Amino acid sequence: MMWAIVKKELLQLRRDPRLVALIVVMPLLLLLLFGVALKLEPSNVKMAYLDEDQSIFSNLIKTGIWSDGYFQLYEVSTKQAVIEEIRAGRAKAGMHIPANFSALLAENQQPHVDFYVDGTMPSLATAMKYNSSSATSEGVTNDMYFSAADAPNVVIAEEPFILDTTILFNPDEIETWFFLPGIIGVLVMQIALILTGITIVREREQHTLEQLLVTPMKKTTFVIGKLLPYVFIALVDFYFILGAGWAVFDLPQPSSQLLLFLLAAIYVGAMISLGLLISLISQTQQQAMFIAIFIIIPSILLSGLIFPLEAIPQIVRPISYIIPFTYFVDIIRGLLIKKTLLVDLLLPFAALSCFVILFVTASIMKFRQKL
Amino acid sequence: MNPDGTNPAVVIEARSLSKYYGDQLVVDDFSVAIEQGEIFGLLGPNAAGKTTAIRMLCGIVERDAGAVSINGAAIASARNRIGYVSQRFGQYAELTVWENLRFYAEMYRVTDEALLDDLLDRYALEPFRHQRAGNLSGGYQRRLALLCAVAHDPDVLFLDEPTAGIDPVTRKLLWDEFYALSARGKTLFVTTHYMEEAQRCHQLAFIDRGRIIARGTPLTIKQCLGDVAVYAVKFAFNPSVHKALLANEAVLLVNQFGLELRIVVANHSSRSQLEQVIADETGERLDLVPSELNLEDVFIALTQHRKAD
Repeated sequence: MMWAIVKKELLQLRRDPRLVALIVVMPLLLLLLFGVALKLEPSNVKMAYLDEDQSIFSNLIKTGIWSDGYFQLYEVSTKQAVIEEIRAGRAKAGMHIPANFSALLAENQQPHVDFYVDGTMPSLATAMKYNSSSATSEGVTNDMYFSAADAPNVVIAEEPFILDTTILFNPDEIETWFFLPGIIGVLVMQIALILTGITIVREREQHTLEQLLVTPMKKTTFVIGKLLPYVFIALVDFYFILGAGWAVFDLPQPSSQLLLFLLAAIYVGAMISLGLLISLISQTQQQAMFIAIFIIIPSILLSGLIFPLEAIPQIVRPISYIIPFTYFVDIIRGLLIKKTLLVDLLLPFAALSCFVILFVTASIMKFRQKL
Repeated sequence: MNPDGTNPAVVIEARSLSKYYGDQLVVDDFSVAIEQGEIFGLLGPNAAGKTTAIRMLCGIVERDAGAVSINGAAIASARNRIGYVSQRFGQYAELTVWENLRFYAEMYRVTDEALLDDLLDRYALEPFRHQRAGNLSGGYQRRLALLCAVAHDPDVLFLDEPTAGIDPVTRKLLWDEFYALSARGKTLFVTTHYMEEAQRCHQLAFIDRGRIIARGTPLTIKQCLGDVAVYAVKFAFNPSVHKALLANEAVLLVNQFGLELRIVVANHSSRSQLEQVIADETGERLDLVPSELNLEDVFIALTQHRKAD
């Protein structure tokens, strides 16, 4: 009798080829993707610098950093801009070489070079600090010791210059600050995709869809009517989870409550409409669940939530950028931790909004008023 | 013809509908013209294409060919003039009777609660107002489904096997309602495979393997078998007798009804010859008694006939 049940289950599974494809092909695809994508060692980390000294010595420092391949350097025009580049997310690190650098160096006065790292992601900050040591390696500092031929012996400092490292935004390198805002997004994504993912399939399976289709409702009416309640529920859920984050883990307040609300609304809208789209392309509730899960997993791993985007190889990077969650992570960290200005968040906001438009339009197009 | 001499208007018109699923033709050249106030029955065996046909008429299944008009308008612009009850219970099981009714009424912009209250009363669902639709018995679920389909007072009602799996008392109650709707000038399109239900329709069409093979009133449609005689005899079921009788060219149908065997034959064949066939098989000479042709005889004879083709 037990074998009869085993056989029946297998037969039923076999009759759903899409489900079989989902459970065989998708894991394989994900495995290959993650095998290629997941590297813990970032490269080409963007560094903004300002070199006011413009001497061969400051050049030595830049070359030393550059030659490792870890940092990718670009120049900005003011010291303030170095920090702003990091706040805006265009750079993860920054460096400032003051104008009197070689002058002080020549007098063995140990000039200071400012080095900034983005502390939002503590693991990356640590790695950047470690890699900054190439600026003070022997190859760089060898030629930085000065003494006149006739000068009396003096004690020369061991280091010709000092690299002052400042951790920006999350100076205490609190890991929860880094993870929690993104995790809130994961939870909301889960709720949204699974809640909406089954909503239309269920109507189809329970035959209520047939009864709905004969009514004079418009496609848009149906799709928007399906979206709104779930958008509302997920939005409430978002603030509920975030509230718990504030209460329990002392998460920082956002730079702007209005922008945070805007982010929540757009992100929830994107997730709910994506869920609806899943529901429209699935034939059974099972299929919908699987598709949802296969969207959630790469979203977590490739969005920069856990591993920095810099650690994801260039060939896989486009996938990171077609994941809506990537932009959510970017914005919420900007708002809560880095206090990024609106102007620097416009791009990810625009990207998220595009996803909403895309998913809603696709849902309306995909929804056929036929069985 | 109406009493005043005018011709009643054609309300449901379908011309040459056809539908393929893959390369299987499930509805083939389906045409009907149904007049106002008529109860039109589409009778056919399972998988004959009844449900596909009714869904095409309602516009929820894409048609591959042909045209449908409701009151002269295309279906897309006539949706608020039609009501449809699908074969399977299509109301929300988690919602109460009242919530279902409210929802479907609102989908047609009907919000008059007093009117809905009256309807609930008329369909004897008032005592179940706050019960979840999923917990209703099959009969009451049917009533609720019908109620949800008529709340917006449509001109045309499409009912897909409205009384399948329903006890005769509830079936009669539903049909009384159908007649009441028809008397108010509503046009009803009903699919069924119950003879008892087909008898109740004003007009009938037999559908088999996608094609309409006969049409008429329940009385006139019987003539489509041509000149036939029907005999009945008290006789216990005996498969070899069935086989022997069917071997005879003139025999159109052999059908066992409890203790009675019904035989439909072309009129020219002789009764004694049939009696001889039975005697050869059983060693017992029985008298065949002439009987009336009924709808079921016609239905089975027609569909069987085509299977032999």
